[in-house]
Amino acid sequence: MSKKGVTRRQFLNYTLTGVGGFMASATLLPMLRFAADPLLQTKQESDFVVTDKKISEITSEPVRVDFAYEQTDGWYSSTVTNTAWVYKNEKGEIVALSPVCTHLGCMVDWNTNEKYPNKFYCPCHDGLYTKDGKNVEGTPPTRPLDVYTHKEVDGYLALGKVKPREEA
Amino acid sequence: MLNRIYNWVDERLDITPLWRDIADHEVPEHVNPAHHFSAFVYCFGGLTFFIVVIQILSGMFLAMYYVPDIENAWQSVYYLQYEVAYGKIIRSMHHWGASLAIVMMFLHMLRVFFQGAYKKPRELNWIVGVLIFFVMLGLGLTGYLLPWDMKALFATKVTLNIIESVPFIGEHLKVFIAGDSEIVGAQTITRFFAIHVFFLPAALLGLIALHFIMIRKQGISGPL
Amino acid sequence: MQKKKGMKYVGDSRIPAENRKPNVPKDYTEYPGKTEPFWPNFLLKEWLVGAVFLIGFLILTVSAEPPLEKMADPTDSSYIPMPDWYFLFLYQLLKYSYASNEFIIFGTVIIPGLAFGALLLAPFLDRGPERRPLKRPLATGFMMLAIASITYLTWEAAANHDWEKAKAQGQIPEASIDTEDEGYKIAEANGCISCHGSDLAGNGSNPSLIGTGLTAEEIADIARNGNGNMPAGLFTGSEEELKIMAEYLANLKEEGK
Repeated sequence: MSKKGVTRRQFLNYTLTGVGGFMASATLLPMLRFAADPLLQTKQESDFVVTDKKISEITSEPVRVDFAYEQTDGWYSSTVTNTAWVYKNEKGEIVALSPVCTHLGCMVDWNTNEKYPNKFYCPCHDGLYTKDGKNVEGTPPTRPLDVYTHKEVDGYLALGKVKPREEA
Repeated sequence: MLNRIYNWVDERLDITPLWRDIADHEVPEHVNPAHHFSAFVYCFGGLTFFIVVIQILSGMFLAMYYVPDIENAWQSVYYLQYEVAYGKIIRSMHHWGASLAIVMMFLHMLRVFFQGAYKKPRELNWIVGVLIFFVMLGLGLTGYLLPWDMKALFATKVTLNIIESVPFIGEHLKVFIAGDSEIVGAQTITRFFAIHVFFLPAALLGLIALHFIMIRKQGISGPL
Repeated sequence: MQKKKGMKYVGDSRIPAENRKPNVPKDYTEYPGKTEPFWPNFLLKEWLVGAVFLIGFLILTVSAEPPLEKMADPTDSSYIPMPDWYFLFLYQLLKYSYASNEFIIFGTVIIPGLAFGALLLAPFLDRGPERRPLKRPLATGFMMLAIASITYLTWEAAANHDWEKAKAQGQIPEASIDTEDEGYKIAEANGCISCHGSDLAGNGSNPSLIGTGLTAEEIADIARNGNGNMPAGLFTGSEEELKIMAEYLANLKEEGK
């Protein structure tokens, strides 16, 4: 190797690498951005859906509230129905629990099984939750039921995103 | 006639050395089931390749009827299975072939492992083989969703939940694979289709070529 | 091939004109009946094995119909998922308390990662010159352990799965449902479909509403007063609507029967 630095062959090799790198990146970069689009899309924070449940009608007894909303999945939009269990706790705050069992995703029901009064009961694997959504020890679920964010719109209950419960 | 065509091509392209090399390489006695019946364990790799060929062929033909779209995917699978002549058999080949490929590959891997055939100088070929194993599992995973029936959807939801639990990158990985952070739907099925039909098979063919070139270069490992 | 200088040009091509490789098989006669050429001797044996395998495979494909469950319905909340059999062991692993809940990354990342990582790097972990399985007890032992645990986990998962129920929950419904029918719309509005499925074919412990064999009056009574697991008072429409829906459901027959 000469001390003068780059030989002709080295120079050609570097140039080849450079041109090759340019060709590869110029073709692949747009494609990678294309593929990663769902990752970088800023999803608008899901809007609150107004249900037909009046805030004033909510009691301390959990009731089932069904609501439908428009779901957009890329180019495909469809109407999806969802369910919440809504009641007021001792402090008078509204609690909206997601009915999705945290074990395997079945739907829980309030107070339907005679053996377990005043519990949320999952028919799939006998999962139990207390009224505040906490999972009963010794039953399959590993964490409490998720909760909906909620607010009041013209006296009606509006439900937003499902959030996992903070450490209960 | 055939001979004259061969000579005509050979004169121009000198193809004799290319294929004579493959044809003439020696196969030692210890892998030949005709000499030792126990040598049947050496067949698992070849059978895996045979199933891969069947999978590629049957997959190409299934794609003549299949559409990766949540409205029509199930309908098209139902149609090709129950309405198209031999549809049951073609889908059967692809379905059971997938399972058998995993079985054969596993047996092949056990043979190589227990014989210590991955030792120097064949370390690289072992690594390529394990990569093939991963690609095949990926093919099984993505192919499972495509018929868009109940078990496809719900098993994929479980899989995506598992992916999501990977620390730090889990959620991004899930979105990247599923196309949406919550919905397993239209965007998921097109992604899985592209991965199952283009990306993974391309990787698989490349890896298999490497696997074979290395076997040819290094020869088969000696008897124990 | 010859080096540059020895190359003879034929016309304008670079194919050597002389010393071409003759198209004759290599001579293996010095190893009689032992080592043999790949083509055609050994390949024929491989293909014989392949042909036998193919016969078995074709019998399997013709006799075992590939399973197809009913079309995916994301609103069906009672479906119990099941992965393909070769992922069952991973699925089962996640059910154990040391691999789920707060230890979930053990089940999803650490344990499978270590196992597959070790498999990938096996040649560098097991470096000794010894090849016989009994002479490298660590490698053999770990592989045996892996096989045993995979077998055990798969077995456990299969044994714990309710196959009867799984078969029922995925069945393709026989009747085609006219979702435009007024009776169906009333059933939809009263939440019947959230338990009995949007195809009314039932799911899980919720029975199918198709071909029940009940009269309209009996159905109307169940809708009002419940039955079994079904609580009373789910139907909230008018008497008029109840009658339309009950008659619609009573007339649902399984197709082709």
